[in-house]
Amino acid sequence: MKYDRIEIGDKIGLTTIIDEKFKSSLLTVRFIIPLDKKSTSDNAIGFSILSDANSQHKTIAELSEVLSELYGSSISSFTRKRGDLQILGITSSWLSNRYAIYGEDIQGGMLKIFSDCLFSPNAADGAFDDELFNIEQKELFDRIEAELNSKRSYAFARAAAVAFRDEPAANYSYGTRETAEASTAASAYAAYRHILETAVIEASYVSADPDPKIEEMLRKGFAAVERHPLPVQFISRSPLKTEPETVSEEFDVRQCKMVLTLKTPSEDIYAMKLLSIILGETATSKLFRNVREKLSLCYYCSCSVSMTKGTLIIDSGVERSNIEKAKAEILAQLDEACRGEITDEEINSALLYTDNALCQIGDTMSSYSGWYFERLCDGEVLTPQEIFSRYSSVTRERLTEAAKSLKLDSVYLMLDKEAK
Amino acid sequence: MKEILSSSHTGDSCIHVKHKSGLDIYIAEMNGFSSIEAIFGTKYGSVNTMFRNRDDKEYTVVPEGIAHFLEHKLFENEDCEVFELYAKTGASGNAYTSFDKTCYTFSCSKNYQENLKILLDFVQKPFFTQESVDKELGIIGQEIQMTNDSPEWRVMFNMLGCMYHAHPVRIDIAGTQESIAQITPELLYKCYDSFYNLNNMVLSIAGNVKADEVLAICDEYLRPCEDKGLEMVFPEEPDNIVKREIREKENVGASIFNLGWKCRPASGMDRLKKNIAAAMAGEFLTDVSSEMYQKMLMEGIINSTFAYEVFSGDGFFSLIISGESEDSDSIRENVIREVKRFISEGIPEKDFRRFQKGMYAGLVRELNNVEMVATVMSGAHMDGLSPFDTIDRLAELTPQDVLDFMSSELSDDKLVLSVIERMAE
Repeated sequence: MKYDRIEIGDKIGLTTIIDEKFKSSLLTVRFIIPLDKKSTSDNAIGFSILSDANSQHKTIAELSEVLSELYGSSISSFTRKRGDLQILGITSSWLSNRYAIYGEDIQGGMLKIFSDCLFSPNAADGAFDDELFNIEQKELFDRIEAELNSKRSYAFARAAAVAFRDEPAANYSYGTRETAEASTAASAYAAYRHILETAVIEASYVSADPDPKIEEMLRKGFAAVERHPLPVQFISRSPLKTEPETVSEEFDVRQCKMVLTLKTPSEDIYAMKLLSIILGETATSKLFRNVREKLSLCYYCSCSVSMTKGTLIIDSGVERSNIEKAKAEILAQLDEACRGEITDEEINSALLYTDNALCQIGDTMSSYSGWYFERLCDGEVLTPQEIFSRYSSVTRERLTEAAKSLKLDSVYLMLDKEAK
Repeated sequence: MKEILSSSHTGDSCIHVKHKSGLDIYIAEMNGFSSIEAIFGTKYGSVNTMFRNRDDKEYTVVPEGIAHFLEHKLFENEDCEVFELYAKTGASGNAYTSFDKTCYTFSCSKNYQENLKILLDFVQKPFFTQESVDKELGIIGQEIQMTNDSPEWRVMFNMLGCMYHAHPVRIDIAGTQESIAQITPELLYKCYDSFYNLNNMVLSIAGNVKADEVLAICDEYLRPCEDKGLEMVFPEEPDNIVKREIREKENVGASIFNLGWKCRPASGMDRLKKNIAAAMAGEFLTDVSSEMYQKMLMEGIINSTFAYEVFSGDGFFSLIISGESEDSDSIRENVIREVKRFISEGIPEKDFRRFQKGMYAGLVRELNNVEMVATVMSGAHMDGLSPFDTIDRLAELTPQDVLDFMSSELSDDKLVLSVIERMAE
């Protein structure tokens, strides 16, 4: 594997990863901006339109037909939240020319499409095409309405709204019904232009095929943009509430959800992540073994950590009658960790699990792309092996300190209606 | 017996061994990859509720959900939990039960030989007690509740209930709270002894492995099995559907639908050919560049979730179109009209070729992913096929095959619409 990163403009990076085992290529450009509730919908709609069509293929139908001619190549956009930041992007994947049955230049075709989508959308007079805008605005309405269809992720989002109240991270990365309704073809286009000009930008290309035209295409496209990038904060810790807050909401559900948000001022990222694995990320974790297996209180009870906000989140699916028992057991397991009751076996298992997971990075194009982007956000580009050596140096004392630093901030409960 | 199977289209290959124990083993050595994915699977899923072995006089009928229950219980050894063993190597162990298969998997990048020993050992070593069965009832009960809260799950099973009169595919894979309450250790052993016979199983391993090392471990750990002549029986299922429509109101944010044709089932190579023809029909019916799609998109009837799936297995076959919509009646009308149009006007060659290229690229990409290669090898074997048959048959597919599929299978009287409607606010 060959890794290379260059700056191709003011706060614009291009990472290239060449690995000959791949049979297709992946090109992604990510735009990082502060998450501002008012502009999230404009941003999301604008980026969705980028991957629908462009100035050469003006409709979804036209672009779709060309993409399927190019061996089902894909181009799509995304928006997600990372702490108090909104990350928007456009990503494209295509089959290597080596596998083209009739000798087509898939790579060349896709670079042209990517460039047109990103830098030359279907827009005129300072506004996106109305038809495309209407389609994407409705898509966003549908997406917002469909949030409740997935109960677990809905509970997670509601828990974030409670834990990060009055912070940007409390919001969805694509806004609300109100912000989506307020969006127009002109405001979405203005948002897109604003992002091109002000975002911190990271592009990545993963492929078996080195291609200088990637850099050329991106340099040429961004050269036409007047850049004045805004600073972004990758870490924005959330303040702890003075008293733990519990918010419960009732829905027509059969299984209740409980999400506990704990906050920490700790900056020991490796100890905190390892603690999260020991607590609840594997089938031998404290929560899995005790809350699920020993006490049969829930089907899942798992843990995740976000150092960007300084939080550890524990979520579970549980019957209403078992909520208090499950909560008590979860906190008891955390107490164990605070008392240093973490066995050598638990630490070694977490390290082995981490080692195995880190070694698998690079087996898919998206894992390469995601890995190096996250490291750039962390401010230090390290290989998976270098990161593992940092995990290896975590001691039981550091794990105990990490556990002690966690304080319960809020509890979100999704309750069933019938069981009142 | 050892053979090398390869694809003339992509150059990929794998090794197939018919092991002396009775087990079929597939190994793909993938240069440049770090991970290893292994699947030890049995042709036993939720639809296998009635069976007997050659020496049994009577058929055994078991409670719904028992295959999935057995999968959970096999993770407990007599002396320890299997997850504890994987924790010592760092592997991620898992398992899943579908309609017609149960698979035990591990994923790792180190210690694969040790992990393979764990996998082969625990799957061949059942240990069921009344106490452990009772304990599992609570966990699986929660799992059933969780899946019942998924509108996507409900809309599909509602559709299958309208499609099938008697075939057990209409029943939830995990069963119901009532059906799993009937499960006993004796029934679990009966199912285990019948279906977890190595002659009914497959081992598939892909990634950073060496075939000789894998086979040496297999020689050591596999216990030879006598083929007991397992016979699976399904209730007689008529060709017609139960009813054409079902609607349920739920507290969902967006209404969703499944629109599926009950097609005649097939097996082996016939099923593969039918799967490919059905997938191509699905491509035509959900083609973003088609007039029908664009019309429905502009009218706001569909959004980007509009998609198709081919759903097939022992005794069942369906082409399903799904998505979010507040007007699924219109979608049904449009789709019926579109099918009739294709049958009358024929399949356009140009569109056929571009879909064929897209499907081919999808298969090439699958063979570039460790997890997918292991899945493809085990899945193909369980369907009585070679891992590279799909890409070969796709190359042979013609527009006439798609037309024949549409004409013979996509009739209005076999079409079921299932809707989960948003409750009025």
